Amino acid sequence: MELIIDNLSKTYSNGVKALQDISLEIPKGMFGLLGPNGAGKSTLMRTIATLQEADKGSITLGDINVLKQKNELRQVLGYLPQQFGLYPKISAEVLLNHFAVLKGITNKSERKELVKALLHKTNLYTVRKQNLGGYSGGMKQRFGIAQALLNNPKLLIVDEPTAGLDPVERNRFYNLLSELGENTVVILSTHIVEDVKELCTNMAVINQGKVLLKGNPLQIIAALEGKVYQKTIEKQALETYKQNYQVISEKLYLGKPIIHILSNTNPSDGFIPVKADLEDVYFSQIFGSTMNLKSIS
Amino acid sequence: MMWYEIFKFELSYRLKRPDTYIFFAFLVLFSMVGVDFVFQGIDLGAVKKNSPLVIAKTMGAITGIFMILASMIMGVSVLRDFEYNIESLMFVNPIKKRDYLLGRFLGSFTVLLFVFSGVFLGMVLGESMPWHEADDFHPFSLLAYLKPFVIVTLPILFFGASLFFVTGALSRNLVVVYTQGVVFFVIFMLTKAITNEWLQAILDPFSLTTITLLSESWTITERSILSIPFNGILLYNKLFWMALGLLTLYIGYCKFEFNVIKTTRFKKKKNPVLESQTVADYPSEIPEFKLHYDIKSKWTQLIHFSWFYFVSICKQPSFWAIAICGMVIILINSVSLGTVYGVDSYPATYFIVEELQETSGYFFVIILVFYSGELIWKERTAQLNLIYDATPMSGFINLAGKYLGLLLIYAVLIISLIISGIIFQTSNGYYNYDLQVYFYGFFLEIFPLLALVTLFAFFVQVITNQKFVGILVVLLFLILNIAFVLFGFNHDLYIFGGSSLAKYSDMNGYGHFLKPYLIVKSYWFLFGMILLLIASVISVRGTETNLIKRLKAAKHRMSKPIMKLGLITFTSLLILGSYIFYNTNILNEYWTNSKQITFRVAYENTLKQFENLPQPKIVAVNLNLALYPTSRDYFAEGVYTLKNTTDTVIEEIHIQKLIEGNVALESVTFEGGALRDTQYATFDYYPYKLTQPLQSGDSIQMNFKQTYTTKGFEQGGSNTNMVYNGTFFNNNDFPTLGYNRKYELQDDRDRNAYKLPPRSNKARRDDPSALVNAQSGGDSDGIRFEIVMSTDKNQLAIAPGNLVKKWTTNNRNYFHYKMDVEMINFYSMVSAQYEVKKDTWVSTTDAASKPIDLEIYYHKEHTYNLDRMMKSMKASLDYYSTQFSPYQYQQIRIFEFPRYAEFAQSFPGTVPFSEAIGFVLDIDDETDVDMAFYVTAHELAHQWFGMQVEAANVQGRLMVLESLSQYAAMMVLKQHYSEAKVQQFLELQKERYLEGKRRESGKEPSLALVENQKYVYYAKGAINMYELQKQIGEKNVNLALKSFINDWNTTNGKLKMATDRYATTEDLLGYFRRVTPDHQQDIITDLFEKVTSLEF
Repeated sequence: MELIIDNLSKTYSNGVKALQDISLEIPKGMFGLLGPNGAGKSTLMRTIATLQEADKGSITLGDINVLKQKNELRQVLGYLPQQFGLYPKISAEVLLNHFAVLKGITNKSERKELVKALLHKTNLYTVRKQNLGGYSGGMKQRFGIAQALLNNPKLLIVDEPTAGLDPVERNRFYNLLSELGENTVVILSTHIVEDVKELCTNMAVINQGKVLLKGNPLQIIAALEGKVYQKTIEKQALETYKQNYQVISEKLYLGKPIIHILSNTNPSDGFIPVKADLEDVYFSQIFGSTMNLKSIS
Repeated sequence: MMWYEIFKFELSYRLKRPDTYIFFAFLVLFSMVGVDFVFQGIDLGAVKKNSPLVIAKTMGAITGIFMILASMIMGVSVLRDFEYNIESLMFVNPIKKRDYLLGRFLGSFTVLLFVFSGVFLGMVLGESMPWHEADDFHPFSLLAYLKPFVIVTLPILFFGASLFFVTGALSRNLVVVYTQGVVFFVIFMLTKAITNEWLQAILDPFSLTTITLLSESWTITERSILSIPFNGILLYNKLFWMALGLLTLYIGYCKFEFNVIKTTRFKKKKNPVLESQTVADYPSEIPEFKLHYDIKSKWTQLIHFSWFYFVSICKQPSFWAIAICGMVIILINSVSLGTVYGVDSYPATYFIVEELQETSGYFFVIILVFYSGELIWKERTAQLNLIYDATPMSGFINLAGKYLGLLLIYAVLIISLIISGIIFQTSNGYYNYDLQVYFYGFFLEIFPLLALVTLFAFFVQVITNQKFVGILVVLLFLILNIAFVLFGFNHDLYIFGGSSLAKYSDMNGYGHFLKPYLIVKSYWFLFGMILLLIASVISVRGTETNLIKRLKAAKHRMSKPIMKLGLITFTSLLILGSYIFYNTNILNEYWTNSKQITFRVAYENTLKQFENLPQPKIVAVNLNLALYPTSRDYFAEGVYTLKNTTDTVIEEIHIQKLIEGNVALESVTFEGGALRDTQYATFDYYPYKLTQPLQSGDSIQMNFKQTYTTKGFEQGGSNTNMVYNGTFFNNNDFPTLGYNRKYELQDDRDRNAYKLPPRSNKARRDDPSALVNAQSGGDSDGIRFEIVMSTDKNQLAIAPGNLVKKWTTNNRNYFHYKMDVEMINFYSMVSAQYEVKKDTWVSTTDAASKPIDLEIYYHKEHTYNLDRMMKSMKASLDYYSTQFSPYQYQQIRIFEFPRYAEFAQSFPGTVPFSEAIGFVLDIDDETDVDMAFYVTAHELAHQWFGMQVEAANVQGRLMVLESLSQYAAMMVLKQHYSEAKVQQFLELQKERYLEGKRRESGKEPSLALVENQKYVYYAKGAINMYELQKQIGEKNVNLALKSFINDWNTTNGKLKMATDRYATTEDLLGYFRRVTPDHQQDIITDLFEKVTSLEF
């Protein structure tokens, strides 16, 4: 089973082109959707999750036409939205049970066992009787994934799940995600490159509603191998470097900017070659690279 | 000026919000009908609708009703920062607490003033609305509106604003904001329970009681023109509430903490959820399970959802706050139940239920509009909607679950109310809890309507997709629905929810009213189901909120089962609708208001020409009446003997059939034959041209057959006379002679609109043509009466006369009554399941007289006051027969009839007594006047004043009949109880008189010329007759009455025979004058011929 997105477009009534001719084939396994805030990731995710109409194009999962057969898709869908709340005065156990009913697990004893198992799996079992109002961000996200897994989904959509989580929480969450079987199409949207690097077998970068790049992270990185150079510079010199080199990223280290540039040849001038990173790929795409990396995939 | 910046910000924020304008528009619209709404059903009389008093009261009431808007505006002001989680951003800024609170308060208060200026504007606009008559208004004066607005509305708005602002800021809880408006209303109701008038006037936040107290002594003209003086009690009232407002603000200022986390909250969170520990040995396998999408699983889901949403509301303190408020109010309000003449009734369950129904309405509406909004928005408020929407649940099942959850909430509230009712009964030492009546009263009468309106509210919430707008639309709809009925559009097929169920009666239960009620409710429920189905396919699912797009998407969302369900529902709706239409409009006649008016106008225009046509008099009536209570039918055969008492030859006899669809006059034949003229058949009016004209002094027999056939059911209540248990009707249902004034259009304004002359209630006292009639219509000067009645085996049938024979054949009871003396042409026919209490009375003065049978026919549970009634009959007979004249019949029968009507009445030898009065009064001899005793005495007095002596149908007639009966009954009361009890009774009469005088739209007449003014002939009549007796002595008054009866007795009075007319007050006063010493003669004039004000 494969999720195929074909020429999907969506323009909001205020004129924002959220999706422009998006075409993606997403196989089973983890798929990372990378892009900056406002790139159109959530719109794409919501459209796949039957929560939004597209203007044109199609989405199919196996033989389900997602845009038409919404209810069929929902039966095999797990969805964790980017932002969600929980009823504060209800315990995790009760709410998870409620969602299980929503999703069609109407046999009481089966449901009970399932809820128990998922609470264990998400490591919430010992706090299952506590009200959700007191949950930390990480616990909340794990609860979110527990609810998304309830119907043993064939398609799991996780929209920016690690935003706002501390590193420990993030790790817990990834462990949870990585345990998911190979039988599921998992789409993970994020603007954090690390997430994709650690988890995904396939990925795409989108920005301004367009797919900039898609492929296997390792292959994509391989294409940049030997072309990335790094240098620590003075703040005032940044503009000069930007004019002279193709700067793909800049970050501060001990108060001074470290820049990465892309170059086919060694620029010397104090630059040292570094091992290409997915982050470099990402930034090179987002910040107007002249090199066409699309060919790599 | 930091506060000014905050003030400006608050103002501009509010002015951009649509709800500000929606609230404003709502108040404008509502206030346009404000006066009509607040004073609905109250006759303002000569007081104009824009008199300052009326305006002030209306403004007070509207402000009170919509205090909840104030709560929505003021309460959210500070709360908003917490709602949107920007409090941390706000509070880190270098703003002083004072500036922040002041700016916010003044900003929202300004908005509040703007919104409530809608009341002012609306009322001003309302004056020129087309449904208002210019006659009802003074010339327009802006000041008349402005002054009450400033005096009455502004101060209380200030208090409300302070209170709501502070509670909102301190509690930081939206639900509290919702609820406080309700709590405020309850506090207002609580002040009603205070007995100290002055204290009550001070404490009434809306100044309604204050204004009543303030204007208590005003005359009718003053009421109409005086502007409200802002001093005295009103000033204190306003000062009190404004001071309280300032105090609230001060407390709020001190208590408000200018930080992010509420201290109390923080303490509560002492045990935050700890990170959970990994449980080492858990099975890592996800167990096997199946997903179900079949009907059975939908059913499981539905039950689960209902319970889930029910529990979620139950957990909200706001719900319990409302419920407890409701219970408290009921306990306060139930203090006096079924009060008749100042005496409370036993707290019988149906009284409690009616009281509960009345007062709980407000609470049910609040719960309905708020929680329907809450439930529709529940997932979105918690931001859980995307998760919900991406699951394969059916939108319909989810919505239906919310619906059923809310219904369960109603059930909980109802059960709490029932419990408080039972507590009230128990605390009053009444243990006859009629759980069935409780159950029916709520689950049959209230619950179905709530269920229907909730469906509508859900629909509106889904369509508007704006919580507050939805709430207002629902409220507006409820008001419009009532307004429609008031304007005469009342057919069950288009008035949402249909009409309400008739009163519960201990005797008749819900009778035949129940079945059509349930059918109509089912019809509307099907309609509601369709609304719910539509709502489920256009509700917001996902991110699209635009209504048009949702409508377009609906056809994709309509699944096959939903489609099927919709189709079945729609077909059933059509079938049931047609069935109702068939019953109400085809089997029976449906009369709209306008049709009725046109009919009455046409009746008068066409037939008025016959009003003075000489007609014979009925001198004998012989009836054979078969009643079938179970099917609500009767069959009657009758013979009238008609005598020409005029000087002319009568060629035509005009017969008027009762105008009612169920009644058919099957045949009318005259001795010697007659030709029927059918040209007035539309009016059921048939002139018969006699083959042999009736000569002066001759008699003729008229035979008729009349049936009453119940066919299906009628629109609205239908006939309350023909019922399963407690059938009660009188001779006016049988054919009458000639033109009948009762079918004329009564309302002067309507008459004017149709160019009919004003209709006088009573002829002048010197009008010779009216002096010969004792009743309107005047078909008779006295009859011989005989009747054979039959009814079901378990019922007894009663009519005037001696019971000649009684037998049972074919499972039916037969009764043959015959009156051995002549009586007036006024008799009732009754049938019900009765218990009978019997006794006899023997005259002590007239040893030769036969014993009189005393009988009380009562509903088997109503035994409370039988002894009092029996005692009263004996005491009355003793007094009247010695003081006035001997009793003319051989029996007196009191019988109970269902409480659809609330009166007691006198027919020859028979006294029907409504279930609602007398029988269930809880009389405390220490504190109360024994009204069961008194009313019986009053009705018995009518056996003299009304049966022995009749009064001409002119001005003053009702003084002769009613004031004299009041006098007679007071004398019996005095004799058997005490002077003090009579004084207590007179106090009540004074109140009644003043109340009536206040409502009088015309001029108060003297007693001697009284027309239909009850407050004059009942209340003032009692007071003045008592005064007369005090001045000239009881003996003298009785002496005068004795001669009056003797001379004007209908059958053998010598003056009656000599003059051939009936007595008037002029005659009566003559007798009074004769027994009054010369120096006291003025008393008669003062008491009866002048309109003197009472001295207190």
